[in-house]
Amino acid sequence: MQAKGGQATIIDRLSELTGRLTAWLTLAMVLVTCLVVVLRYVFDIGFIWLQESVTWMHAVVFMLGAAYTLEHEEHVRVDVFYRRFGERGRAVVDLLGVVLFLLPLCGWIGWSSWDFVATSWRIGEASRESGGLPYPMVPLLKSVLVVMPAALALQGLSLGLRSFRALSLEPGGDR
Amino acid sequence: MEWVSGLLFLTVIVVLLAGFPVAFTLGGTALIFAGVGVATGAFNDALLTGLPNRIFGIMSNETLIAVPLFVFMGVMLERARIAEELLDTLSRLFGSLRGGLGISVTLVGMLLAASTGIVGATVVTMGLLSLPTMLKRGYSPDISAGTICASGTLGQIIPPSIILVMLGDVMTSSYQQAQLAMGVFSPKTVSVGDLFAGALIPGLLLVALYVGYIVVLALFRPDVMPAHERGPEDRVTVLAIVRALFPPLALIFAVLGSILAGLATPTEAAGVGGLGALLLAVVRGQLDRERLEDVMRATLRISSMVFMILIGASVFSLVFRGYGGDDAVHELLSGLPGGVFGAVLVVMIIMFLLGFVLDFIEITFVVVPIVGPVLLAMGLDPVWLGIMIAINLQTSFLTPPFGFALFYLRGVAPPEVSTGAIYRGVMPFVAIQVFALILLALFPELVTWLPGRIYGS
Repeated sequence: MQAKGGQATIIDRLSELTGRLTAWLTLAMVLVTCLVVVLRYVFDIGFIWLQESVTWMHAVVFMLGAAYTLEHEEHVRVDVFYRRFGERGRAVVDLLGVVLFLLPLCGWIGWSSWDFVATSWRIGEASRESGGLPYPMVPLLKSVLVVMPAALALQGLSLGLRSFRALSLEPGGDR
Repeated sequence: MEWVSGLLFLTVIVVLLAGFPVAFTLGGTALIFAGVGVATGAFNDALLTGLPNRIFGIMSNETLIAVPLFVFMGVMLERARIAEELLDTLSRLFGSLRGGLGISVTLVGMLLAASTGIVGATVVTMGLLSLPTMLKRGYSPDISAGTICASGTLGQIIPPSIILVMLGDVMTSSYQQAQLAMGVFSPKTVSVGDLFAGALIPGLLLVALYVGYIVVLALFRPDVMPAHERGPEDRVTVLAIVRALFPPLALIFAVLGSILAGLATPTEAAGVGGLGALLLAVVRGQLDRERLEDVMRATLRISSMVFMILIGASVFSLVFRGYGGDDAVHELLSGLPGGVFGAVLVVMIIMFLLGFVLDFIEITFVVVPIVGPVLLAMGLDPVWLGIMIAINLQTSFLTPPFGFALFYLRGVAPPEVSTGAIYRGVMPFVAIQVFALILLALFPELVTWLPGRIYGS
């Protein structure tokens, strides 16, 4: 499906880059979790900020990975019928899905999160735990609530445009 | 306005069938319903503004951190060809016995438990891995297909599986809600560890039943699963067996053991398991930078897929609750004849049917939070309910003609394996599943004994 009916757009390349960079955090999560375990069970010490950094990376991974995952067509579909549709059928589903579901959803998440994120920056929010992550980390993490829908909406736009092109290029034909 | 919640539920199911990604369909449809409700004054828009807080709650949920870590471990083991080597060695070891290869496939399916939680992926992996060998060695297409579908889905419910992590998280909050509703002020808790412990005996029971069926069949109908003549290329040294078996077994036992022994949280164990899988791949010379990046990216995509569904599902449940869906479900379930038994039976049947359309992840995040609190408030054990749901869904994925697993196996099976053969082959396994479900319903101790023993609940 991907890249059929068009060259990779700038949006696709942006999602690709974000995904590839963010993916390194999965390795970091594994290593830091092990470090936490070793520190706790072998040396009997624990750092709350280290523990919180795993949570932080985890959230960034799945939020910033959303657009990349869409680009790679790996958001699960109920494909009982979808996979039997022709190219045009799929394009219709994708175009409608983007316009009716994806864009409004991203719009709402981003818009309703704006105050939530702005407040966090304004009050200089830090971790509630003492010894937790220092100042810019919490607002930075919350900002993902605005970045994720923006990036996902962009990638959705790319999918929508590709579907639209597939529909307008070959009227009537299935191939 | 409770009927709107019912309409929302039905609409979502129908719209999902169109095939747009589940996560966005769930959230988008619910949002449209909420929008119409706000415009007509039927829906309180204050509910929707709580969304950022809910999503941030998902982002800071510590239980679910185990998901990407287990996915990392599972993908790493898969890409490092651990399963292939395991199957290869086991089948050389048991291949000269009648039914030996079938049993090997079942055991590998069980050990692949640290899988990605996507039914299709595991069945495809198992199918590509074992179907050609089974057919080549003269196993009938029915038996081969049945064994692969059953053991491919089995890994989903044997710990440490990410399905149980997700189910555990949902059960935790359902159980708390249920007890609050019952007026219990010092609520008991249920953890992912409880679910792992609870799944162990039923999981092994299923393995035993599968193996038993294969053995019986091998005795009475040797023509469908002939023994393999041992040739020189099948000679297998003790060293090779140890090399293939020991590291992955040690890894899985260490991960599972440390959780069950209460030494480590599932997240910690998953992290150590991830590093273990990484080292295993390095030792076997299976890891270069390209493969590492491949594993990391696959982990990212699977995690993002899972958590976007969770976000979509929480938008859905926000709106569903806003329209009073909770109360409707409560009334419906408590008004059923047959009391608790009737309610559980109806929920199980509905989930079974939904399993034809939705995967484990969606049902766990969408349906369980709706029915869980109601059922648990009737006094059911949360671990028992969780395991019953898991095995029920696994059965659904196996049941012709709609079961997920069958579609995916069809996709990778050669043309000489007819769809009819897949259906015929899987039916005995469906019967085994139903038998196991009845057994667990009659003897809940099979589930609750081990967690009680370990965690003393």
